[in-house]
Amino acid sequence: MRLACRDIRYRYPGSENELFNGLGFVLEEPGFHAVFGPSGVGKTSLARLLTGGIDDFSGDVAVKGLPIRLYSHNLERLPGWSSVGKHLSRITPPGREAQRETLVEAFGLTGFMDSRFSRLSLGQRNRVNLLRYLIQHFQLLIMDESLANVDEQTREQILLTIKEMFPESCFLYISHNVVEVATFCRKILVLRSPEKSPQAVFVGGQDRRKDARLDERRLQQSMLEIVNAS
Amino acid sequence: MLPRRILQFLIIYVLGICALLALKYGAGLSDYVIPGPDDLWRTGTEVFRPFGLDVLNTLTVAILGQVISVVLAIFVGVAGRRATWFGSFIKVAAYNVQAYPIVALAPILFILVGDGWITRLLIAAMICYFPVLLSVLGIMSEPVEDIEHFYRVTGRLRWQLEVKIRAFENLSKLTTVISGSATLAFAGTIVAEFIAANAGIGYSIRIALYQSDLSRILAALFFIGIVLSVYQGLLEITGALVRRTWAGV
Repeated sequence: MRLACRDIRYRYPGSENELFNGLGFVLEEPGFHAVFGPSGVGKTSLARLLTGGIDDFSGDVAVKGLPIRLYSHNLERLPGWSSVGKHLSRITPPGREAQRETLVEAFGLTGFMDSRFSRLSLGQRNRVNLLRYLIQHFQLLIMDESLANVDEQTREQILLTIKEMFPESCFLYISHNVVEVATFCRKILVLRSPEKSPQAVFVGGQDRRKDARLDERRLQQSMLEIVNAS
Repeated sequence: MLPRRILQFLIIYVLGICALLALKYGAGLSDYVIPGPDDLWRTGTEVFRPFGLDVLNTLTVAILGQVISVVLAIFVGVAGRRATWFGSFIKVAAYNVQAYPIVALAPILFILVGDGWITRLLIAAMICYFPVLLSVLGIMSEPVEDIEHFYRVTGRLRWQLEVKIRAFENLSKLTTVISGSATLAFAGTIVAEFIAANAGIGYSIRIALYQSDLSRILAALFFIGIVLSVYQGLLEITGALVRRTWAGV
């Protein structure tokens, strides 16, 4: 796979300031990666740009081996006319039922399949929303704050499960949590303000997996690099 | 819901009668201009059965006209929801036509179709149709992005699902519009009967007007108010039942 952005320039219609001013990066390996940066730096816009939601930009986005790119975010809702379980059944591609059940259990949602989406807590809603994307066919999934309002322990379990179940897929996890991205992500794309050049830099993360011991010193080093780069 | 509506109407009706009587005794007006309470009561009991049947006749036409207009508005609203040439054409046409007083077109219908049942039905449906259409168009052309996004990016967003999502998310608005349009359908039927018809409560009001019989007019207003309150109340209850069944709230 290859995801390459070159000299991306973009400003929102009506805005005087450029959001992306020659943004460029290359990502050539699957895995669980992150997009990190302060609010308003363009993380969500980059996600929409990579998945076709924004097309009036200049520059090149070259994609190889990632035909299906999905973007999920934490403000999405499921329709309220039936239970979460029924919705998930309806949108499960044939042959992925077992995967869905595994994810339901790993995400701690087993007891909520008969509930309507509106009755769930914010964290449960985000978990359900992420789960329905994971059971789709995709090569790249961008998770924009997809685990917001989820407690730390459950989040850790979810991230480790995703990494274990989808080793061949590419993920871009948008988060403001420096510890989290440094711990679980392989590469962290740090987005910076358009005045800085380059506007995006990669920092290596610890890419923690299940049953693997985390080196605290190297984690500290990754966190420092992320903070310094942003 | 229903008893509250009826009670509200009764309070307003009684206040109106009291205001008329206050005017009558305050200005020393004769029974010919504003009849006294005994005359009002006597007329009310006399016309109870014929006016009751008349108002039910009017209600039947109004309900049918409303059903036609709501079905048509949903059909056109769904067809015109897209930002296509056809959708834009429907929206512009609907906004322009609804600005025109439909009642003013009634004489054309009377000339073409005569003063029978069909004319009453058509006028009721036309008066009711455009406000409902504007609401349906507004609802159907507004994407519910936070729900539709998933279905769009995974290629599952068929037009039926899109309409279902938008209808579901605006269920309260839709049921309120449909309930409110009952008044329009009823008013349209009465106007049609009032202008030229041979049945219905509007026709009875016209006769009472020619006889300058305020008692009969007030009795007719009482029946109209009660029947409309009950009908609207039933529509609201139906809307609440639909919401409860579909949305589980």
